[in-house]
Amino acid sequence: MKRIPPLLLLAGPGVLFILVTLLLPLLAIFMFSFWRTESYELYPDWNLDNYRVLFTEPAYRTFLLRSLVGALVTSLLCLLYAWPVAYFIARHGGRYRLLLVLLLAAPFFTGVILRIAALQGIFGPGGLINMALGIFGMPPIAALMYTPLAATIGHVYLFVPFMVTAIYLSLVNFNFDLLETAKINGAGPWRAFIEVTWPLNWIGTAIGLALVFIPCLASAVTPRFLGGPSATSFGMSLGQQFGETGTWALGSAMGVVLFAFSLLVLAVMGFTINLKRSGFTGMGAP
Amino acid sequence: MTSVGDQAEGWRRLAMSFLLCLLYVFLYAPILFVIYASFSQDIVWPFPPSFTTDAYVELLDNSLYADALKNSLIIGLGSGILSTLLATAGVIGVLRFPSRRRALILIAFLAPLFVAELLIGISSLAFNARLLGLPGNLFSAIAANAVEGTAFAFLIVLAQLVRYDWQMDDAAMVFGASPARCFWEVTLPTIWPSLFGAFLISFILAFNNLEISFYNLGAIPTLPSVAWGSLRFGLGPELFALAALTNGLVFAVFTLMYVLMRTGIVKFGYRGV
Repeated sequence: MKRIPPLLLLAGPGVLFILVTLLLPLLAIFMFSFWRTESYELYPDWNLDNYRVLFTEPAYRTFLLRSLVGALVTSLLCLLYAWPVAYFIARHGGRYRLLLVLLLAAPFFTGVILRIAALQGIFGPGGLINMALGIFGMPPIAALMYTPLAATIGHVYLFVPFMVTAIYLSLVNFNFDLLETAKINGAGPWRAFIEVTWPLNWIGTAIGLALVFIPCLASAVTPRFLGGPSATSFGMSLGQQFGETGTWALGSAMGVVLFAFSLLVLAVMGFTINLKRSGFTGMGAP
Repeated sequence: MTSVGDQAEGWRRLAMSFLLCLLYVFLYAPILFVIYASFSQDIVWPFPPSFTTDAYVELLDNSLYADALKNSLIIGLGSGILSTLLATAGVIGVLRFPSRRRALILIAFLAPLFVAELLIGISSLAFNARLLGLPGNLFSAIAANAVEGTAFAFLIVLAQLVRYDWQMDDAAMVFGASPARCFWEVTLPTIWPSLFGAFLISFILAFNNLEISFYNLGAIPTLPSVAWGSLRFGLGPELFALAALTNGLVFAVFTLMYVLMRTGIVKFGYRGV
């Protein structure tokens, strides 16, 4: 009997698992997007109707645009906030680094729904902030609840730990001695950051951006409960096709469009990554 | 000149630590609110405070929450264990046996990170229900959740093992240890913190997942789906009580970790002084 190569033995099961549970289902909805649904049943007559509906119906365009803008704004806010935080943990966290990172993950033990309900309780009309303002005789801040701003705050709340962790993981493998070299050669701290730290950790940053942008684009729960009546997102509408209305074919087409936009973002980021300059060169040459 | 530079460095450090503290406040304010509200008499208008432990009594009486907790635990544990095993084997394979296919394997393992949960949920529902003819059950929910978990676990284990010194293993094997024995006695004792971290993350993801589980389970309740239902039809304070208890447990574990690190008994992978 021929011996199975160890790489196949070790990595094979995982790769196979992901092919079966991720790739095949994605191919399935790609196929269904060309089918037709009638009274909760799928019929395989191949056509482009679902895509025609998606691109001609103004409502879907609005949902998609709204989700895209929301995801973009959230990603940028997370990026700005996460960098100094991740840098601090990686550079100055010392032996408590892991604990500091785990503290960012611990809120996830409380489900998304409960944390969003709690955000409502803090920002809402009768919530903590507006109550406190009332005690001091100030008018409540209406913008904090049931507005796009509220949904964005909710998204930043949910996704900023991913961004911090991605940048942190990149910085942990980064050789900070390079900054000393830059300093000796006369670079100020900002110059050193822009020319050394930032480009060498761009891969971690790009992964962080994708980890925030993609779930935010598909987000359904947060806009539903924080965004108010005019905040229907692409994800909410997509979920409805599989739940309430049972139009699976149209829903599949929406899923394909969502996936296409995620791929587009990944492609743009992928082109900007120079693997030789990335923080993951520590893997050694093959 | 140097002192001016050091001073500026000190200020930057202070500003960054301030931002970190602010982030913790932001992240934990809702958690504290949940704990506070769990003791409150009226969950919709919890101010001014009026305390009661009714929610905790209700929680013990209601079997729906016990069921939901049990299902969430099954999904969390199943998916966490599956993810950690697949990811750890994958990372060791990729790091120890360099090959031209390494990039492809990396892409396969990390791909789920870049697919939205909603998409994983609906596509596995569509695939299982329409092409395989399988109704939603706990196994499909475990598998669908483990997709994402495997990717996160892979990333965490990879980040740690990139710096692992495989010469230790080679040394053990020179002295006659089998690969399995070598893994148990040399590799595992060194890398277990990252395996534990990977398990923890994939467990949390699956335990609290709403979208993937929802589409794969149909009517079987989990904690997030019960919360989702009650958020639409009026939130039950019992859920806040349950969340408060979970958080109590998590913080007990963190405090223990801190004490262990403080006293230097366990270092959790940290190799500095």
